[in-house]
Order: sequence, then structure tokens, then C-alpha cells
Amino acid sequence: MREKDSDQELIVSRQVLSIPQRFATGPAMGRFLRELRDNKRIMANKCPKCGRHQLPPREVCAVCRVEATEWEELGPEGTVRDFDVVYYASPDPLTGDTRETPYVACWADLDGTQGAAPLWHLLDAPDLSQVRSGLRVRVVFAEERTGRIEDIQHFEIIE
Amino acid sequence: MSEGADNAFVVEGRMALPYQYFAGATGSTFIVALRDEHKILGVRCEKCNKTFIPPRQTCERCFADLTDNWVELEPTGKVTGFTVIRYAEPYQPKTPPYVLALIQLDGADTPLAHILECGDVDNARVGMRVRAVFADEPKDNILEIRHFEPAGE
Repeated sequence: MREKDSDQELIVSRQVLSIPQRFATGPAMGRFLRELRDNKRIMANKCPKCGRHQLPPREVCAVCRVEATEWEELGPEGTVRDFDVVYYASPDPLTGDTRETPYVACWADLDGTQGAAPLWHLLDAPDLSQVRSGLRVRVVFAEERTGRIEDIQHFEIIE
Repeated sequence: MSEGADNAFVVEGRMALPYQYFAGATGSTFIVALRDEHKILGVRCEKCNKTFIPPRQTCERCFADLTDNWVELEPTGKVTGFTVIRYAEPYQPKTPPYVLALIQLDGADTPLAHILECGDVDNARVGMRVRAVFADEPKDNILEIRHFEPAGE
């Protein structure tokens, strides 16, 4: 390496490409997202054989391989099972924006769930030291909903 | 399907890809000269008797350090090959159809790929004499040369 003139102007190009994409929900995710958007309800489907909830729903029970056609509302309150405090945020793949750090994301078991995976979402936690597993939380829905998982804005802590 | 496909819908979204490209010391000198002086710089290896563009830090043949061997090239040259872009997708520099050509500038031994504006795309020919047209606004990239056009010599 040769020593370069230190006041040389160096060219750096920073860009955010924004690529259009379409996501076809299919029937089960379609019902789930539609209920979020239109009725502010979190719906899981239920296996007729083992009684297990699936959240997010899928057409067929992942264990019994039978069509899961029954629907039940879960939450909107739940209990934190696990959480992350994030100090280094990677860019949101949908916007290219980076969230303000630190922020908290948690996995919460919604009330009424039978065997469904916990729901992952952001947790609005003004005081990080408050966050622990077992914390009671409630889903807050976005004002403007468009049929995406962001229709859930975040979890809030129940006082 | 008992659930009914009526529940299915399409979510229109966008996927963002943030990226950062660093031109490097050699690439930066090249782009700054294009932008500020409308000069097209190459690098020359005296030993191999070759002039390279885009400029590179080392000779591709003898690996000699070419960091300070800058030479100014003419804004004119000839087309050594080309292709016609006919499909459209996001982030192309122009609306298709357009011509991407390999242009060997006068004084250079390697071709530079760039846009060729020659009216109808069917007018593009290998051997055509062309001239660089510079951008009006600073771009900080290779589009400091907006395109090449027939030299009309």
C-alpha cells in the first residue's frame, strides 16, 4: 500500500433500493390478516384432531397433517415467555429504516392458547429494567391497518 | 377447499435493500476528475505498453503498481461491441430499449461499458465513432458521463 494524500475526496455511494413485491396470503394467513385489519382480533386456527392452536395459522396441522378449519380468538392479553433487548438494529427489510435503539422484542403466549407458538412482536417498554419473562402484556393495534403483521403496533405492559 | 379461497388476498409491499458502495482511492480519483474537470482518466503500464480504463491500482499483466500513472484519455473512441436492452425492470439507468456499448476510447487499450445514444437502437454498429456527453448535474458515479453519442466526424 502506498500512502495516499489524506485530503483526497473519496466517493461513497449510499442508496436504498426499494423493490416492489407481492405476497399472496393464501386462505389461512388471509383469514388471520383480514381479522387483524378489519376486526382487531388475533385468530388462530385449531386442529380438529389434537386441539392444538396454530399461530400464525397454517392450512394443515403441522403435527397431525389434517386440515385445521376451526378458528378461535386468542389474547389480546398474554404473558411474556422470552424477550430480546436490541442495542444494534439491522435495517427493516421493508423500509430500509433502522429502529431507534435500544428496543425490546418479545415472544408472548397469548391467553387461551393451546400449544401455539408464542407471538413475536415489539414490546413498548419505557423502562428496560421492568422487562422480564412472566410479564403481562396486551396487544396494541395500529390506527391504520392494511392487512399485515404491522397492524399489531406492539405489545404494551399491563400495569 | 373447505376454508374457501375467499379469505386469500395479496399484500402489496416493498422490499428495501440499503447498500453502500465505496469507490476506493483509484476509483474516487477517476470519478472526481470526470465530475470536476470532465476529464476521462486511465492508468498506464509502461512496461506492458497498455492503458487501462476503468483505472486500476495494479497492472493486470505484470502486477506493477500503477497508482500514479494517470493519463488523460480522449472523450472520443469507437464501439467494439454492443447489446440492446429490451426488457424493463426497476433501477435501470434508462427506459428500454437502449444500447449498452463497449467503447474503446482513443488512447486506451481496454473498452469502457456505457450507454450509447444513437437515435434508433438499430443504428448501433461495431466500429462506430462516438463521443462522451457529460452530465449537467454532479452524480458522483460513472453517470458523470451521461452517455456516448455518434461523433459525427
